[in-house]
Amino acid sequence: MEGAPEAVSDATVRVRQLRKDFFDEARGEVHAVDGLDFECHRGEVFGLLGANGAGKTTTLRILSTVIRPTAGSASVMGHDVLEEPEAVRRSLGFYSASTALYPRLTGRETLQFFARVNRYPEPQVAARVDELVHRFGIGEYQDTRVEKLSSGMKQKVSMARTVAHDPPVLIFDEPTVGLDVMNALEMVRVVRELRDEGKTILFSSHIMSEVEKLCDRIGIIHRGRLLALGTLEDLRQETGKHYLEDVFVHYVTDAEGEGAVLGPMGAIRKDG
Amino acid sequence: MVRPTGPLWTIFRYELAMLLRDTRTLMIAVVAPLVLFPLFIFITNRVEEREEQRLDEAEYRYAVVGSEAEWARARVDRALEESSADVQGQASIRFVESSQVTDLATAEEELQEGNLQLVVESFSRTEYRDVLREERDSALADSLATVQGSEEEAVQLPPDPVPAVPARAMRLRYRADSDFSRRARDGLGARLRDAREAERDSLFMARGFPVPVDRVIPLESQNVASAQKEGGAILGLILTPLLLLLMLTGGSIVAVDAISGEKERGTLETLLTTAATRGEIVWAKLLAVVVVGLAVAAVNVANLGVYLGLGILDLPPSMEISLDAGRIVALFALFTPLAVVVGAALLLLSGLSKSYREYQIYFFPVFLTFLIPAAAPLLPGMELRSAIALVPIAGVAVAVREMMVGPIDFVFTALAFASTATAAAWLALLTERTLSNERLISRQELDRADLEGGAALFPRHVFRWFLGFWVVFFVVSLWFGESLGIRGQIFVNLVLIFLGGSLFLIQRYKLPIKATLSLRMPHPSVWLATLIGAPSALILGMGLAQLVDAYLFPVPEAMLEAFGESLTEPDMGMWQLLFFLSIMPGVLEEIAFRGVLLSGVRKRLSPIRTVLTVGAIFGFFHVSLFRIIPTAWLGVLLAAVVLLSGSILPAILWHILNNALAIVPAMRGWVSEDFTPSVMIVTLSAVGLATSFAILWVTRVRTTPPPARSRAGASSRADPGREPEPLEPSRA
Repeated sequence: MEGAPEAVSDATVRVRQLRKDFFDEARGEVHAVDGLDFECHRGEVFGLLGANGAGKTTTLRILSTVIRPTAGSASVMGHDVLEEPEAVRRSLGFYSASTALYPRLTGRETLQFFARVNRYPEPQVAARVDELVHRFGIGEYQDTRVEKLSSGMKQKVSMARTVAHDPPVLIFDEPTVGLDVMNALEMVRVVRELRDEGKTILFSSHIMSEVEKLCDRIGIIHRGRLLALGTLEDLRQETGKHYLEDVFVHYVTDAEGEGAVLGPMGAIRKDG
Repeated sequence: MVRPTGPLWTIFRYELAMLLRDTRTLMIAVVAPLVLFPLFIFITNRVEEREEQRLDEAEYRYAVVGSEAEWARARVDRALEESSADVQGQASIRFVESSQVTDLATAEEELQEGNLQLVVESFSRTEYRDVLREERDSALADSLATVQGSEEEAVQLPPDPVPAVPARAMRLRYRADSDFSRRARDGLGARLRDAREAERDSLFMARGFPVPVDRVIPLESQNVASAQKEGGAILGLILTPLLLLLMLTGGSIVAVDAISGEKERGTLETLLTTAATRGEIVWAKLLAVVVVGLAVAAVNVANLGVYLGLGILDLPPSMEISLDAGRIVALFALFTPLAVVVGAALLLLSGLSKSYREYQIYFFPVFLTFLIPAAAPLLPGMELRSAIALVPIAGVAVAVREMMVGPIDFVFTALAFASTATAAAWLALLTERTLSNERLISRQELDRADLEGGAALFPRHVFRWFLGFWVVFFVVSLWFGESLGIRGQIFVNLVLIFLGGSLFLIQRYKLPIKATLSLRMPHPSVWLATLIGAPSALILGMGLAQLVDAYLFPVPEAMLEAFGESLTEPDMGMWQLLFFLSIMPGVLEEIAFRGVLLSGVRKRLSPIRTVLTVGAIFGFFHVSLFRIIPTAWLGVLLAAVVLLSGSILPAILWHILNNALAIVPAMRGWVSEDFTPSVMIVTLSAVGLATSFAILWVTRVRTTPPPARSRAGASSRADPGREPEPLEPSRA
C-alpha cells in the first residue's frame, strides 16, 4: 500500500489510521472504515473509488463531523474533527445525493442562508450570492421557491450552496447518483473548475469513467481499507492494466484472495 | 457556549420565514381555530337558546296515581293555580294532567315512552311508613356493608324506626335522562314546596303566630371576596392549562418540522454539515418554537378578547378580573420558562422521532404529560408553599393561581420559576444531544451493546425500566393504597414490584447474579461501620427532615399523623411489625435499588453521580412528598456503602437496622412521638457517621468499574453533545 509522504505542509485533509465500527444485526460488528490513511492537497481532486458499502460515505461523514471515528484521527485545514468540529465544518462544503434543500426558500435565499450559517462575513453576503447566482447560472429562477424547480435546477442551487461560504475543501459524496447525463456532465465541469481555483476536492464514486476523467489521485477503498493510492498512471503501472475497471478488479481480487468470486462492480460487498 | 451571532439568528429567521410561507399549515393551525372557536361558541349558545325555548314552550303532561290520588290531585292543582305567576323562571311552563292514566304500571310505561313527563305517586300513612322503612333498611344495609365488611354483627333496629309519619305523602317520579322530565320535576316540585310553605305560614298565622318564618332566625351569607378576586381564582385555575394547551398546539407547528421534518426531507444533514454548532441549531429552533407557541397563544387570547369586546360572546360575570401592571409583568415572567419547557419538550420529541408520523404518535402522550401538572391548582388545598414548587410546570401553575388572588410569595414563586426553568434547560440539552447522535444521519441503528444484548445493554435501559416500575408503583399506591392494607401494600410493592421487577430484569438481560447484586462477603470491619453508621444516619436523617420541615416545605401535621397511622395496624405485633417494615424492605429494597439499579447506573455514571442518582430514585419511590428527602438521604448512604464495601450485605443490615430503629422505640414508647434530637445527639451522630465512612473508605474495594469511557484515545476528549459510549464488555 502506498502511503502519502509524511508531514506534507500543504495537506488540507489528513486522515490517519481512521477506524469506524458499526454493529449490524445480520453481520455483527462491521469495520466500516478500517485503518484508513490518506492526505489531500490544494488544487487536487482526490477520488475515493469503491463499491457500495466500501466505507466511502462513512469516511466522508467522519470528515464532515457528522459521525465520530472509533479510532484514529482526521483533520481538515489542520482542525481535528473531534476537537474543533465547527472549524472543520466551516472549512468545508459537503454535497451528497442525500443532502436536500429547503423547499420553501428561493434559490437566492438558500444561498444567503448557507453563507450566513457558515459564518461568511455578513457585509459580503450579498455580493457573494450575486457571484454564485451568476456563476451557476441560476439568475432566471433565483427568486423561485426551490420546491418548484426541476431537478437540474435544484442540483445547481445545491452545488452553489455547497460553496456558498467559499470553503477551501469540498466533499462530493457520490454526487452524480440519480443525475441524468447532462446534469452529471455539468457536475464534473463544476468540480474541475473548483479544482482549478485551488480547492481541495474529495470526490467519491463507484462509477469508473467519472473517476478516470476527473480525479488527480485515486484511492481504491474496499472493506474499509485502502487497497491502492496514487495517480491513475501510478495504478496502471503497478497493475499493468489500462482501464480503471480492470485496475480496480485487480486490487480487489488481490485483497480477497484466491477464492474470491467477483460479480459485477456493484455486487462486490463485504459479505457477499 | 451559545453566542447570539450569525448562525443562531439566521436559522431562527429563516425558520419563521419558512413557516409563514407554509400557507396550508398556517390556515389549519392558526386561522382555522380563530374562526372555529367563536363559531363553536356561537352555535353552542344558539343551540342552548333553542333548547331553552323548546323547554319553555312545551306542554308538560303528568298523571296522578296511588291510593290518595284525589288528595294529591287537589294539592297539585292548588299549587299550580296559586303560584303560577310567582315562581321565578317557571312562570311560562304549562302543566296538563293526563286523566286517563290512573294506575302506577301504566303511568310508568307512559313515562318511559315519553307520553308523560311526570308521575305524581300518592301514599296513605301506612304505605308511606313502608316506603320509609324500606329506604332506611337499604341505607343501613349499605353502610353496614362498608363499615363491617364480612363480619356479622346483629344490628338492633329500633321498634318503630319511622316516627311521626304524616297522614299522606306524595312522590314525584321522573326520568333523569330526559330534559323535559327533569324540567317538569323541578317545576312542579318548586311549586309544591312554595304552596306548602304558604300553607304552613297561614297555619302559623291562624294559630296566632303572625311572624314570617324568615324573621325567626334571620340568616344571610355574604361573600367577602371581591368579584375580581373570585374571577382571579377561577381564571387562575384554568389559565395555565389553557395557555399550555395553546402553546403545545401552536409550538408543534414549528417543532414537528424543526428536526423530524428536516430528517424526513433530507435537509438535516445539509444543516448539520454547516459551521453552525449543535447548540446554535437547537437554540435557534427552540426560539422559533417558543415564539410561534407564544404567538399562537397570544393570537387566540386576543381573538377571544375581540369577540368579548364586540359583545358577540359573553364572559361569565365570575370571570372578570383586574390585574395591575406589576402582576401582569410577573405573570409574563412566570410563563416564560413554561413556554421554553414546552418548546424544548416538543423539539426533543421532534429530535427523537424519525418522521412526521412518529412525531404525531408521540405527541398525544406528551400533551397529556404536560396538562396533568398544569392542572395542579385544581387539586383541593394545593398551596405554593409546599414541595409542589419544585415540580416543573405544576409549581408555575400554582404560583400563577396564587398570584391572581393574593400577595406574591417571592421565595416560592422563584422556586417554581427555577424548577421549570431547570427542566427547560435540561430538555434543551437533551435535544442538543439528539442532534449529535449519529443515528440521526447514518442508518446504522445499532452499536455493540445492541448487538450483544443482555448485560451490555442493561445500563442503557436501566432508567426506563425503573421509570416503568415507578409508574406502576405510583398507580398502585394511588388507586389501591388504602384498600390494600399494610400487608397488601408491602406484598405488592416489595414482592411484586421490587423483587419481581429485579428478577425480571436479571432474567431478561441475563445479568450475572453475583455481580449484579454485589453478593460477596465484605471486609469484617464493614460490619462495625454498619452498626455505627445506621443509627447515626437515622438521627441525622431525622434532623435533616426537621430542617426541611422548618425551612423548606412545612409538612402538614395531618399528613404526618395519617402516615403514622397507616404504618401501624392495631393488630400487628412487634415481631410482625419488624418483619414487614424492617426485614422485608431491608432485603427486597436493597435487591432492587442497591442491587439491580446500582449495577446498571454505575456503568454509566461516575461513582459520585451513581450514588446521588440511586439515592434520588430511591427517594421518589416513596409516594409521600415529605418522605422523599429523608429516604433519598438513606438511599445515597446505602449506595455509597455498597460501592465502598463491594457488597450488598452491609447495606441490607444497615437498612434493616434503620427501619427497626425508626419503629421500635416509638412503638414501645421509649421515645415520644415528636422526638427531636438534641444538638449533642446530632453532633455525636455526625461523628458516628463520619467514623463509619472512614472505616468503609479505608477498607474499600477497588472493583468499581470506571465510568463510561471511549475506547479510542483520540476520541476521549469530551464533545459536549456526545452520548456516553457503552463500556467494552468485560469478556476475557
